[in-house]
Parts: sequence; structure tokens; C-alpha cells
Amino acid sequence: MNRRQQTANFLVAIALAGSVAWICISVFSSLGGQTDWTKAWEYRGALWTGWKITLMISLAALFGSMIFGLLFLLGQRSSLPVVRWSCRAFLEFVRDTPLLVHLLFGYFVIFAPLISRPLSEAGWNDKLLIGILLLSIFEGAYLGEILRGGVESIPRAQWESARAVGFDRFQIYRYVIFPQALRRVLPAVAGLFVSLIKDSSLLSVIGVTEYFYNTKNFISRSYAGLEGYIPLALGYLILTLPVAWLSHVLEKRFRHET
Amino acid sequence: MRLEVEHLSKTYGSTRATDDLTLHLGDTRVLVLIGPSGGGKSTLLRLLGGLETPDHGRLVINGRTLDSAPASLLSYRRKNGFLFQQFNLFPHLSARENIALPLEKVHLHSRPSALEIADAALDRFSLLDHSSKLPSQLSGGQQQRVGIARAIAHSPEILFLDEPTSALDPEMTAEVLELIQELAETGQDIILSTHEMGFARAVADQVAFIASGKIAELAPPLRLFENPESGVCQRFLSKIMRY
Repeated sequence: MNRRQQTANFLVAIALAGSVAWICISVFSSLGGQTDWTKAWEYRGALWTGWKITLMISLAALFGSMIFGLLFLLGQRSSLPVVRWSCRAFLEFVRDTPLLVHLLFGYFVIFAPLISRPLSEAGWNDKLLIGILLLSIFEGAYLGEILRGGVESIPRAQWESARAVGFDRFQIYRYVIFPQALRRVLPAVAGLFVSLIKDSSLLSVIGVTEYFYNTKNFISRSYAGLEGYIPLALGYLILTLPVAWLSHVLEKRFRHET
Repeated sequence: MRLEVEHLSKTYGSTRATDDLTLHLGDTRVLVLIGPSGGGKSTLLRLLGGLETPDHGRLVINGRTLDSAPASLLSYRRKNGFLFQQFNLFPHLSARENIALPLEKVHLHSRPSALEIADAALDRFSLLDHSSKLPSQLSGGQQQRVGIARAIAHSPEILFLDEPTSALDPEMTAEVLELIQELAETGQDIILSTHEMGFARAVADQVAFIASGKIAELAPPLRLFENPESGVCQRFLSKIMRY
């Protein structure tokens, strides 16, 4: 940075800090002394349970989306055209319609009439399971596309070379293509996993009592404002920041490697 | 090795890469394929190596007919070694792992034994100091030498080399050619395609001149280079010998 850039940088920093401070001050002064953190403390039990459910949904859907992503990837690379095209059509449908619609349609129209009763009779939380399944399919569709891009970005010579050393089809993917493809798509995958954690809040529309649902409940019951929204944001940040951080670390490590 | 190739055709789109190609070869150690680019050398090599299946025709190598079932082609590939022009190594694995991994997963050596063989192969080509480097940290010549080490680590029946030096500068080319010559002298059966005529002459037992998807001429190097019989071969040789 030269001297002029340094000065400009300094001025912009002052301006940004000033604007943020001004917004904070106006928000807090408009609320007057109404912010009452004891309300949040009273509801801590429900919020904590909700947060744990969100964590659980995220982990389960993370795992589920990997399975679906892999299936969609393999489906699109199948040697049977009918499998390839069905996969394509399904992915296109999933990616071009909102998750909210999938959840409402998938839950109320497809899955609830089919398997809600047997699930609840078996003692399972049907909303939670179906929600996780729908979220897994939705994120899996994106993951499948990301993985396909990664796999197709590996030069032909690598496939050739892998066949030449005698690897079979599974070994070619396992030892040659995936290790290289995953390095390339890691940032995109991490971004997707962050989205997945955030998207889990939409499961509230089918009545899954996760973090967003419980916080919303708490806010409407206690007329809370900031006391509800600040913990809500922080709760999601606690889940997403480690994923983002891990992806940066891995990305850096792989960059040095290759 | 003995080769019987009959009426071999392979088409890519509208290009006839090999066109009703026939080749009979009695006991030969080193067969070199020469000819203009796009003439079908690579395709023939890939067909012989079991990396492609022909549209028509028959391939008999050392008395064994190559069938096109994936499983039998896989087991055929596993017996042989193959080296390409470039981008041959796996970039995410060290030189040592590049050799050891196929030994372990394909040839079912134990991990220690795979590593031991890999180190011995690297040592043989004076690459042991570079064993833990990634391909991107090696020079082109070193990469190709590691590629050769990988291709011969499991003692292949036949070693296939597809223009092994065309992506290298002259110094590295010499490095790699010396190594191939050394392998030929130890008795390794080799089929290779190359544009290095001097090398072809020095190392080959038989030279096949391939143009337009056919064998235009097959002869021992001395005869083929001194007295080419076919017109295409004469023109090709006189053109490249001019400079």
C-alpha cells in the first residue's frame, strides 16, 4: 500500500465504524430501556433444546446429503441413459424450486400421509425425520452437482493413467479421482454445508421444534426483541463458523500440497 | 513377444484411427512404431495395451487372444505396464506412493513390501532422494522416470510407451531414452511409439511405419531407415532427415 491508499483505507475504516456505531446507538435508543435479558434467561431451557435439535438436524442432514450427493453423482455418470436423464430431470426440478416448497409439499402431500403414522407409532418424531430426509435430498442435489463438476474437471489423462496401472472402476474413483476432485470442490462443499445449517431453520414450517422455531415461540410469547434475535444469530454462528474455518484450513493445506 | 494383429479397425467419430491394420511379428523384444502424427500409432498402442477395444479385428499377443470383456481386459492391463506422453503421475501422491499404491491395491502386495519395491524401483533410476516429493516438485524428466519406474515395478510382461519423450526438452529426453535403452538391454519386452528416429534405430529390433491407420512398412531398423521400400515411408524419412 502506498501513502495515499493508506490514508484512504484509514478514512474508510473510520466511516464504516462510525456508521455501524450510529446504527447500534439508534437501535438501542429507540428500544429505550426495554431490553430485558432476564426473559431470554427464563426461556433458556427451550432455546438450548432447540439449538441441540438444530445441531442434530445439521449433522444428520450433512451425512444424508453426502449419501444423496454421491448417488446423484453416480446416477449422472451412469452408463444407462435412462438413469442419467431421470437424475438430471430430478436434480433440475429440485434445484429450481424453493426448499420451502419441498418441505411443505414433501411433508404434507407425500410423506406425512405415507409414513407419519407408522413412524409415530414406532415412537419416532416423524416431522424431524422427514424434515431431515427432505433437507438431505435438497442439499444432496446441490452437492451432487458440485461433485460432478469436480469429477469432470479431472483431466482425461488421469482416468487413462489410472486404468493403465490396473485400477478397477471403484479404485479409480477411490484412489485417483475423488482425492483430486474433492480438493478442488472443497470451498464449494464447505459453503454448501454452511447453507445447510442455515436452511435447517426452514424445518420450522413443518413444525420441527428446532432452534428457530423455539426462538420464534419465545419472541412471540414474551414480546422480546433483541433478546431473542441476538442469541438466534449467535446460535447459528456457533455452528457455521467452525465449518467455514475448517474449510479455510483444509483449503490452505491442499493448496500447498499440489 | 509375438504379435498377430488382423484387420484391426478403430474409428473415433468419423476418423479412422486404425483402418484394417494387419501386423504379424515373430519373436521380437523391442517394437518401435514410427510415422506421422495422427497416423494411428497411439491408437494401435492403446489397442495393444488393452486401453481401447477395437471395432473390428483380432489381436493375439503371445498366443493369447484379447477379448473385449471388461474383466479380462482389466486383468490383461494389470500384467502390463503403460506410460503416456505426460500428466502420467497422480499429482496428489508422492513419487513413492505413485508406485506403491498400485502395487498394494492392484497387485495385492502388503504395504511394507509395496513400499520396499517402490523404493527399489526409485533407487534403480537414481530417484530415491526424490521419493517423498509430489510430481509438481519434480522436473519433467524426473516425472517420466518415476512413470517408468511405476510401469515396471510389477515386472510387466510388456511395457508400452506412448511417445514417452515428446513433452520433454532435449536434455530430459536423453535422460529418459537412456533409461528405456537400459530396460531393453535387460530383456524387457517393449512396444513404443516415438518421433526420435536415432533412438528408434538404436533400440528397436523391428520398426513399424504407420500412416493413415495402416502399417506401411515393417522391417528391422537398419533396413527401414537405409532402404525404405514404401513411398510414404521414403517421403516421411526424407522430410524429417532434411533438418
